[in-house]
Amino acid sequence: MLQQNIKYEESRDPDFARWATEQTGGENIRRCIQCGTCSATCPVSSYMDHTPRQLIHLAREGFKKEVLSSFTLWLCASCYSCRVDCPKDIHVTDFMYALKRRAMAERVYPKRFPIPVLAQEFSRMVQWFGRVNETIVAAVMFLRTDWFKLLGQTGLGLKLMRTGRLSVFPESIRGRSELQRMLKAAEASKEKEVASR
Amino acid sequence: MADNTGNGQKTNGLPRIGFYICHCGSNIAGIIDVVAVAKFAETLPGVVVSREYKYMCSDPGQELIAQDIKEHKLERIVVASCSPNLHEETFRKAAQKGGLNPFYFQMVNIREHASWVHENKAAATLKAKDLCRAAIYRVRLHKALEKRRVPVNPDVLVVGGGIAGIHAALTLANAGKKVTLVEREATIGGHMAMFDKTFPTLDCAACILTPKMSAVKSHPNITLWTYSEVEKVDGYVGSYEVTVKRKPRYIKEDLCVGCMECIEACVFKEAKVPDAFNQGLSKRRPIYIDFPQATPKVVVIDPATCINVKTGKCKKTCVEACDRDAIDFTQKEEKVQLKVGTIVLATGFKPFDPKKSPHYGYGKYPGVFTALEIERLVNASGPTSGEVLTRDGRHPKAVGIIHCVGSRDEKTNKWCSRVCCMYSLKLAHLIKEHSGAEVYNFYIDMRAPGKAYEEFYEKLLSEGVHFIRGRVAEVTDWAMTKEEEGKLVLRVEDTLAGFVRRVPVDMVVLATGLVPQSDAGDVRRVFNIGCGKEGFFQERHPKLAPVNTFTDGVFIAGACQAPKDIPDTVAQAGAAAAEALALVDAGFVELEPNTSYVLEEECCGCKNCIPLCPYTAISFDETKKKADINEVLCKGCGVCAAACPSGSIVQNLFEDAEIYSEIEGVLAR
Ligand SMILES: Cc1cc2nc3c(=O)[nH]c(=O)nc-3n(C[C@H](O)[C@H](O)[C@H](O)COP(=O)(O)OP(=O)(O)OC[C@H]3O[C@@H](n4cnc5c(N)ncnc54)[C@H](O)[C@@H]3O)c2cc1C
Ligand code: SF4
Ligand code: SF4
Repeated sequence: MLQQNIKYEESRDPDFARWATEQTGGENIRRCIQCGTCSATCPVSSYMDHTPRQLIHLAREGFKKEVLSSFTLWLCASCYSCRVDCPKDIHVTDFMYALKRRAMAERVYPKRFPIPVLAQEFSRMVQWFGRVNETIVAAVMFLRTDWFKLLGQTGLGLKLMRTGRLSVFPESIRGRSELQRMLKAAEASKEKEVASR
Repeated sequence: MADNTGNGQKTNGLPRIGFYICHCGSNIAGIIDVVAVAKFAETLPGVVVSREYKYMCSDPGQELIAQDIKEHKLERIVVASCSPNLHEETFRKAAQKGGLNPFYFQMVNIREHASWVHENKAAATLKAKDLCRAAIYRVRLHKALEKRRVPVNPDVLVVGGGIAGIHAALTLANAGKKVTLVEREATIGGHMAMFDKTFPTLDCAACILTPKMSAVKSHPNITLWTYSEVEKVDGYVGSYEVTVKRKPRYIKEDLCVGCMECIEACVFKEAKVPDAFNQGLSKRRPIYIDFPQATPKVVVIDPATCINVKTGKCKKTCVEACDRDAIDFTQKEEKVQLKVGTIVLATGFKPFDPKKSPHYGYGKYPGVFTALEIERLVNASGPTSGEVLTRDGRHPKAVGIIHCVGSRDEKTNKWCSRVCCMYSLKLAHLIKEHSGAEVYNFYIDMRAPGKAYEEFYEKLLSEGVHFIRGRVAEVTDWAMTKEEEGKLVLRVEDTLAGFVRRVPVDMVVLATGLVPQSDAGDVRRVFNIGCGKEGFFQERHPKLAPVNTFTDGVFIAGACQAPKDIPDTVAQAGAAAAEALALVDAGFVELEPNTSYVLEEECCGCKNCIPLCPYTAISFDETKKKADINEVLCKGCGVCAAACPSGSIVQNLFEDAEIYSEIEGVLAR
C-alpha cells in the first residue's frame, strides 16, 4: 500500500518538545549533534523503527506521536552503551525511561507488543504484592498479547513448576500498605518537582 | 657512497664537470639505480667527478660540491635530484661557495620526471641516464651570468578599505612605511561595517572596527583616498606607477566636519533614494553619509539624484546650510599619479544574487530577505533600529534561515562560501534575541571549523533553535493546511527524521554565498595578476605562497582571494603587509638573469615580438628602429625569442646552442 509521508507543522507538538527537555535524561537533548554514535553502538538498534539518534531528533522537534508509539522505547535493553559513547554526554538511556513512562501514561505504546505489557504487568504486580510471581506475569502477558503462544509454552511451564522454578501462588511481602504509601509519596514528590521547574 | 673520480684529468679541452646524483632517501633510489647512473655519467666526456649521495641538499651534500670544485678544479656542476623549484637555489649557492659562477650549474629533475612517475626500474634508470646526459652536454655551453638588482620604492599602495585593507594599511604604516589606501566607496569599512555583531564571540562589529577606521584616518603615514579607483598600473616590482581616478564628491573633504546640516537642508524634504548601505531597506537624500561613523566623516553628493548636478537648477539649500563652505559643485573627476614599490590588493567579495535561485522567492515574496539585509535589521543603527520586522512592518513569529544559497550547487557556484553556516548561527541567535521568534535553520552540513566555532554551534543548539538537515526545495505561499495560510512555506526533507516537512514561517533569510566582485576581472587585468576559474584572485601557491601573486610585488588579502571570515582575513592582511615589508626593507629585489635581449645589428624592426610579450616588456626604439627589451620587466618566458623571424632575440640560459646540445644529449643513446 502506498502511504503519504509528509509532515505538516500541525503534526508537531512544541509542548511535547519542551516536556522532553525537562525530563531526567532529556536535559541535554538539544545539544545532540546527530552523529549517530548511539545508534551504531546500540546492540538492538537493528530492530528499531527509529534509531536512538532519530528518536532524539524527533523528540526535540516535537513529533510526539512518532516518538511515543515507537518500538524503540521498548526494544531498548538498558545496556547504557549509548550513554557511555555519546560525545555530547546525552543520557540517552535515561531519556528512554522518561519516554516509556509517558507512553504508558498516554496508553500509546504499540498494542499487543509483549515488552510494554510485560513492563506494565510487572510493575502492577510489584505495586500490589511487593513481589513478582513469574507464572502470573507471564500468563497475563501472553493473554494480553498472543494467547495462542501461551499454549505452546505450557509444557515448559509445567516442567519449571515441577522443578520448583515457577510457583503458582502469588507471594506477598509484609506491610504491603506501607510499600504502597512509599510509592505514592515518591510519585507525589516527582510531580511536585516537575511543577516547580 | 661510490667515489668515481677515476676519469682522470683528460677532458680534451672541454670544461671539467662534476656530476652528482641524489638518492632522496628512497624517493629516487627506490626506482632508479643511482650507482649505475653515476658510473655511466663518469664515462661521458668532460666529467671529472661523478658521485651518488643520500641527500644532496643536506649540508654535507652541498659541502661535497664546494670541496670538489676546489680539489678537482671543476668548472661546471650537474646535480640530478628533485625539481629546480625546490633546490636550484641551494645548489647554485653550493657552486658559488666553491668559487664558481652559480650559473655554471644545471639541475636534472629525475624525481618528478622519472622515479615518481615510473614503475619499471630499468626503464626509469635508462630515462634518468638520458636526462643526465642532456644536462652534461648543455652545461658545457653555460655562461657566467649575474643577477640584477633593482631598488624598491618604500611606499605601498593598498587597494580596498574593508577590514583586510584597513589592517594591512595600519600594519605597514605602523612599521613606518608611507601608505596610500584607495577605496571605491565614500567610506572605508567594507562589509564588516554593516554587521551588528560578529561570530563566534558576538562582539559588536562597530566597537572593534571603528577604532581601526579612525586610526587609518588619523595616521600620519596613511593617505586615505575614498571615492577613488585605480585605473592603470605601469612599471614593475619595486617601482610601480599608478594612476588613480578620484571621483568628485562635491564636498571639500578638508572643510567638511560631518555635521550633516546640509542633509537636513536638502530640497528633498523626504528621503527618496534607496539607501545602498542599508541594502535598500531605507531611503536617503541625494546628499548623505552612509553611517554615523563613516570614515572619512564627510558627506557625499550622489550625482545621479542631485538636482543641481543633473540640471544645475536647484536652490542649493545645502550650500546655504553649510557654514564652512564645504560644498563645491565645481569639483571634477581627477587623475592622480602615484609611485609605489609594492601593492596590496584587498577588494573583497560580493554577496551572491539570490534572484539567480528563483525557487526561494527573493523579490517575489516580501517576506524573503538576504542575510546582509538581516544584518542591517538587527543593527541598532540600522533602518529599524534593531527591530526584526517584515517589509510590511510585522513581527515575525517564525523565521526560516536557508543555508548554502548560491553555494555548493553546480547550477550557481560549486564552492562552499565558508562563512554562511557561522553567520547563519549568529543571525539565528540575534533574531531569537531581538524578536523571540521560533527560528529554523535548514542546512546541508554544519560547517563550523574554527577556534570556538563548534562551541558556538553547541550554544545555538542549546538555545533551542531548530536544526533541520536538508536543502530547502522551495519557498511558496501556496497553503495546504489552515495554519499555512498567509505564511511562507518551506518544503524540505528532514533527512535526520526521515520524512519531508512543510514548515510555515513569516520571514525567510537566505544565507547567500560569497562571490567575486563584479569587476574582479577588470581589476585583475589592471594589476596584471591571475584569477581562478571561479573568479577569485589567484595566489601563487595555495599552501606556501597564499598572499603572493604571480606578479612580484603585488599581494592579495581577504575575501578577494577566496571566501573567508574576519579572523582569517585579518591574518592574511597581516601576512600580505609582512611580505610587502620584506621587499621594502631589503631595499632591492634580485632578478633572475634568464632574460632576453635583442641583438641590435640583426633586428629588422618588424615588431612581431612586441604584442606577444605577456609582461609588456618590449618597446620599440623609434630612433634606432629596433625592438628594446626592458630586462626588469622581462620574466624570461621566451615567447619573443621563439617568435623572432630573424633569430635576433637571445635568451640567457636558453640560447640556441644550449638547447640544441641538450636535445642532442637526450637522443644520444
Ligand atoms: C551576511 C554576512 C555576515 C558575516 N558575518 C561575519 C561575522 O560575524 N564574523 C566574521 O568573521 N565574518 C563574517 N562575514 C565575513 C566577512 O564579511 C568577511 O570576512 C570580510 O568582510 C572580508 O573582508 P575584506 O576586507 O576582504 O572584504 P570586504 O569587506 O568586501 O571589503 C572590500 C572593500 O574593498 C572595496 N573595493 C572593492 N573593489 C574595489 C576597487 N576596485 N577599488 C577600490 N576599492 C574596492 C569595497 O568597497 C570594500 O570596502 C560575514 C559575511 C556575510 C556576507
Ligand atoms: S551519540 Fe549522542 S550526540 Fe550522537 S546522535 Fe546519539 S545522542 Fe546525539
Ligand atoms: S541503552 Fe538502549 S538505546 Fe542505548 S544502546 Fe542500550 S539498548 Fe540501545
